Amino acid sequence: MRRVLGTSFALYAPALGLLLVTLIYLAVAYRYKPDLRAFPAGVAWIMVVLLGLDLVSRTGTRIGAALTRWLNPGSVHLGAPAETQPRARQVSAVLWLVAFAALLVLVGILAAVPIYLFAALRWRGRRSYRACALGAAGATLFVWLLFAVVLRVALYPGLLFGGA
Amino acid sequence: MLDLWLSGFLGLMQVRELAFLGIGMAIGVVFGAIPGLGGATALALLMPLTYGLEPFTALALSGGVMGAIPMGGSITAILLNAPGAAPNAATCLDGYPLAQQGKAGLAIGAAASANSLGGIIGTISVLAVLPVAKQLVLLFGPPEFFLMTIFALVTVASASRRQLLRGLITGGLGLMISFIGYSDVIGGERFTFGTDYLWDGINIVPALIGLFAVAEMINLSAKGGTVSRAVGTVVVTRMWSGVLETFKHLGTVLRGSLIGTLIGAIPGESGTVAAFLSYSLTVQASKDPGSFGKGNIEGVIAPEAAINAKDGSALIPTIAFGIPSGAEMAVFLGILILHGMQPGPLMLMNNQREIYGLVWALTASCLLASSVGLLFVRPLALITLIDADILAPLVLCVAFVGSFSVNGEIENVIVTAVFGILGYLMIRFDYPRLTVVIALVLGNTTERSFRQSMAMSDGDWSIFVHRGTSLVIIASIALTLALPLLRVLVRRARSPA
Repeated sequence: MRRVLGTSFALYAPALGLLLVTLIYLAVAYRYKPDLRAFPAGVAWIMVVLLGLDLVSRTGTRIGAALTRWLNPGSVHLGAPAETQPRARQVSAVLWLVAFAALLVLVGILAAVPIYLFAALRWRGRRSYRACALGAAGATLFVWLLFAVVLRVALYPGLLFGGA
Repeated sequence: MLDLWLSGFLGLMQVRELAFLGIGMAIGVVFGAIPGLGGATALALLMPLTYGLEPFTALALSGGVMGAIPMGGSITAILLNAPGAAPNAATCLDGYPLAQQGKAGLAIGAAASANSLGGIIGTISVLAVLPVAKQLVLLFGPPEFFLMTIFALVTVASASRRQLLRGLITGGLGLMISFIGYSDVIGGERFTFGTDYLWDGINIVPALIGLFAVAEMINLSAKGGTVSRAVGTVVVTRMWSGVLETFKHLGTVLRGSLIGTLIGAIPGESGTVAAFLSYSLTVQASKDPGSFGKGNIEGVIAPEAAINAKDGSALIPTIAFGIPSGAEMAVFLGILILHGMQPGPLMLMNNQREIYGLVWALTASCLLASSVGLLFVRPLALITLIDADILAPLVLCVAFVGSFSVNGEIENVIVTAVFGILGYLMIRFDYPRLTVVIALVLGNTTERSFRQSMAMSDGDWSIFVHRGTSLVIIASIALTLALPLLRVLVRRARSPA
């Protein structure tokens, strides 16, 4: 991996990502009239300064080390907590979540819950088909009883089945 | 005064309220026992379910959860060396060695009774302080409220595992998000991009469910395996001897409870700080400091008393100023808002019955949880051996459907997913999440009180330094920001040249 100022480029990614979001936020804020944008833009400018400091603190320079000591002494090694998690598992965990959210929106709650649970228990949990079917059915029944019967929530039918 | 205490107590003594208190307590013990879940996740998941309940009943349920979390956490900390919640990590230091010596029952008995006593002392302190808090809050005008919100953000950021800079950044991010929607202060919409759903701003409930429950489940899924990796032998005897041990060390209980009470009232200072501070002061005060870490019963009693005492006093900043002292209180604040209670002076005036009812619920829950916890030690320990790949999908289902049920808008599901991924990225890249939550909750108050101050002074900024209260808060902000630098300088001065 390419190194910039004594640090792997990947370690700048979180701060750079946040900086990009902040700059877009600022650009949008400046489309509003001065009174409306004053507070959000003020906060965003402060964010730019803070993110600048964060970026400098990530460098392998003396200033970077001093900034880390003063302002972030708790972060000894950037990105360290995730070292124990295989990248494929991380991506897969996020993708399963996104897929479930998409299913809920598209086919509705009563269809998405059993499909997701069956698939997750089968392919991630590596359970037998029978256990997966029982688990999915039980959880769907629980969701229906709790939300539709007890709390009287009209469960979303899904975009494909008439949901708005 | 006494009639309010009584009214709150009698309100709780109804069949419905007691039933929900019991349910909350059971959920609290279970969630407390599972490492990584804890009070914030439990409350975030329950939040939408409380929607159809009366406010008082919802508070009984929440109090039940919050009062019981520490007991669940201490059981797994002692038996499996896997603290259910971060504060229980201090209990592991002597609790687990005791379990290894075959004295798990002694440790659990001591933890349960220290929990109860700590909870009672915390309750007494909050009952004593609440009437004073009402007078204190009335001294606060818009400039002081504005400064208090800044102070809350700075203290929370500085207390975020010694990551002031990252805490401030995530606080800024939370503020930026809180400005989405129609601004009733100025009149005009911001960052809605023509979406009707965003007109009311980001709904706090789906956001909190995402940041806590969903983010933790992604993290658990990414790690894989079982929740607890240390599987010890679950042998539990001599629990009553443990209870007696607590009464033999009442000084330790009192010291721990006092520390917990003081720490709990400071925004951002968590139960972890209270637990470890109580533990280290007990070690320093002991005649046999060498025995700590090897199975000294005082090493269990001290943190447990502090953790539960903290819960009571943590209500003070949350209710009086609308400034939560930690993640659990931030989610609890969401529950208050969901039920039409606006923390601050108005809540202290209009919802006194609910407040006292909540205090009683917290106490009753911690007492009940201690007894129930003792009865269900073994099954609670076994919960932590559930496979993450089974637990995570089940929790995610409840989280997403719960998020939808808040107001029946499917967009809540998308908000929950987005905040869940954001929360996971923050765990992954070591950014504190608590400041985002506090900023999300306080964003509108910050802007409103700033605008009101400016309107009061015709744009003169000196309004922020006119009154003594403001000056005290400004000095506290400056001190909090300077603390990390002072720490470095003190350490440098102490180290040999």
